[in-house]
Amino acid sequence: MFGWNGRILRIDLTRGTNWVEEMPTYLMQEYIGGRGMCIRILFDEIDPRIDPLSSENKLIFATGPLTGTGAPAASRFIVSAKSPLSNCIANPCCGGYFGANLKYAGYDLLIVEGKSPGPAYISIHNDRVEIRPAEHLWGKLATETEHALRVDMRLRDDLDDWALNTIGIADIGPAGENLVRFACIMSDGGRAAGRSGLGAVMGSKNIKAVTALGTGQVNIADAEGFRKAVMGFYQEGRNNGELIKRRMYGTWSLPGRANKSKSQASLNFKEGYSEAFVKYEDPEVIRKLIRVRDEGCFSCPFGCSKRSRIKDPEYPKTAKGPEHESMALLGSNCGLGDMEDICRANYLCNELGMDTITTGTMISCAMELYEEGYLPEKDLGYPLEFGNRNMFKLLKQIAHREGIGDLMAEGGIAFAAKYGHPELFMGIKGMGIPAWHPQAFDALGLQYATNNVGANHTKSTLPFYEGRKDPAHFVEFTKKDQDYLAIADSGVLCWIIYHGPLWGEKLSEWLTYITGTTYTQETLDRLGERIWNLERLFNLKAGITCKDDTLPPRITKEPRVKNRVVDIDRLLQEYYEWRGWDKKGVPNQEKLQELGLEKEGAGVI
Amino acid sequence: MRIKIDYKKCIGCKQCEIVCSLAHTGTVNPWRSRIRIFIREEFCLPVIAGPYTEAACNSKGMVMVDGLEVDGCVVCRASRPTKSVYKEPDTGIPLKCDFCGEPPDPQCVQWCAPEALTLIEE
Ligand code: SF4
Ligand code: SF4
Ligand code: SF4
Repeated sequence: MFGWNGRILRIDLTRGTNWVEEMPTYLMQEYIGGRGMCIRILFDEIDPRIDPLSSENKLIFATGPLTGTGAPAASRFIVSAKSPLSNCIANPCCGGYFGANLKYAGYDLLIVEGKSPGPAYISIHNDRVEIRPAEHLWGKLATETEHALRVDMRLRDDLDDWALNTIGIADIGPAGENLVRFACIMSDGGRAAGRSGLGAVMGSKNIKAVTALGTGQVNIADAEGFRKAVMGFYQEGRNNGELIKRRMYGTWSLPGRANKSKSQASLNFKEGYSEAFVKYEDPEVIRKLIRVRDEGCFSCPFGCSKRSRIKDPEYPKTAKGPEHESMALLGSNCGLGDMEDICRANYLCNELGMDTITTGTMISCAMELYEEGYLPEKDLGYPLEFGNRNMFKLLKQIAHREGIGDLMAEGGIAFAAKYGHPELFMGIKGMGIPAWHPQAFDALGLQYATNNVGANHTKSTLPFYEGRKDPAHFVEFTKKDQDYLAIADSGVLCWIIYHGPLWGEKLSEWLTYITGTTYTQETLDRLGERIWNLERLFNLKAGITCKDDTLPPRITKEPRVKNRVVDIDRLLQEYYEWRGWDKKGVPNQEKLQELGLEKEGAGVI
Repeated sequence: MRIKIDYKKCIGCKQCEIVCSLAHTGTVNPWRSRIRIFIREEFCLPVIAGPYTEAACNSKGMVMVDGLEVDGCVVCRASRPTKSVYKEPDTGIPLKCDFCGEPPDPQCVQWCAPEALTLIEE
């Protein structure tokens, strides 16, 4: 078989068993991999109304046909389950070496079901699959866990230096163990499947980590053609400067871009600009200040990720990040304006295993509640105005569910409501809003509001590109870009590189070389649309309605940025129409027929 | 002509390992590569497989790279009986870089977009 392995590894934690299943052909042909396969399987196998933290939820680690093949920036993996944060479908995408290793070990998907009776980790070494005790790992920070696991593996498997640093590990920090609803699954020293609280799902199953080591191969249909095409792609990237720009600065070129255009989330979205960030508008300044080296995910020459140095002796010498999103949400959004502090906050979140974005909006919400006098100081035990470094303390309290952290770990909706001001939590479907202020571009507001997983930054295209800013067209483009990203996440391509308008057409090219089946753009568009609609049906069944496709009143009623508000009701109706959905956001009969989803829609429409 | 390695530019993406395997076997498996990337916290070290040697090693020890201690066995290019890198994983046959391509056109250089590997005339 080319591209895929055609094998699913299933682990039943309750019974402590595992087995391999043959991958049904239609899954590969019609759902490609990653995100597509995940929604098909979850839709078929779990009731969307279950409690996400119960043992009925299933956690899928999914690769795509491109993972591990050497297609540039396409070796990522998807983790999917029902989200304990949004109660919607969740499918965060993660980089690093884990995806490629799962593939080389001989599997396309790993499905984890049930619940382990005690703390355990899953170890995959080709055909040897084990559920091993993890009492000694419980309570450890994310990179501590990885380090301990590498030591274990060196002793057990006699692995050499090269192999030890080639394996992939996905793990949770204390936040995941304590079922914090926005806990991440961390991977390879600071990468994250971050946004939907799947760390808590892993914690609810008592699984601390999954290690993958594969020494097998992936077959490519047209190896020669593929080798030349990748070379051509690099040439193109060099010629237009994109390759070099991304490797130099990664997402560090964005704080400047956002701040200059008044779209940088600041002070709980009260503003779109931070005075303190002016000094970081030139990415070279950040690079000089903190960078140690550039890091690429497996098979990614763009290397957008940065290892940086924190000078504080209490912290380790180097750590990954922070990316633009973390800089904005933990930085300007919480009133922090010093890069050292932002690095510390980012480091803490990564090690505790919490999503930096939702955590940032939680902290900023607490800060505003405190400043407005709604959150009494006695509940916190310390002052917490914007910019106060007591937020580091609060971060740890959330992860360990200590004091007020216990309530905050339940998410922003519950927390802000307890203090009487639910409108001050800047989230959608429970998920914190990312760095770009939605009032800066209407298109962004619509994308955040309609996203199947909540306010996610990786499932929409930034509105800089052709047509995306134009009011006459951006609703149409929102749909188009969403469908595109659904299929890109199935490859699994990296969103940062294949931004739809930029290199989006490469997916069909790589797929064709690798699998030997010719894919056209039209087929992929249709498959993407079907994935999107199936996810929507899952959410509708889970109880999500059009009332959840909305933005906080700060965005729709208070003109904070560029003196504008987002008229979400009007945009939504226009969007539903483009999608072929009715006024309540439910796919109509014709649309379902067109996509071949009538059976799945039964009971929803 | 030789391959110049500038480890400071290496980002650990392993595209060189992948293409070496692809060009020699038509399949993708970094364990079949004749070049290996050793990843450290502060830098990555690309090492290209040299000739196989049976001889006992008498230069074991630590070497300094950029002020950091690195195991001498890591930077040593030799493929040896006791080393597991640079061996075909299924058969155990030692692997050695053959400066591939005709005329020489090392594939690892071609796929190393960060230019940690470059071809120089010398
Ligand atoms: S662009 Fe960045 S995040 Fe994407 S695959 Fe490359 S290194 Fe990883
Ligand atoms: S391709 Fe170049 S940058 Fe990537 S790992 Fe190999 S030597 Fe390093
Ligand atoms: S020159 Fe060819 S054989 Fe040698 S390491 Fe590079 S790709 Fe492999």
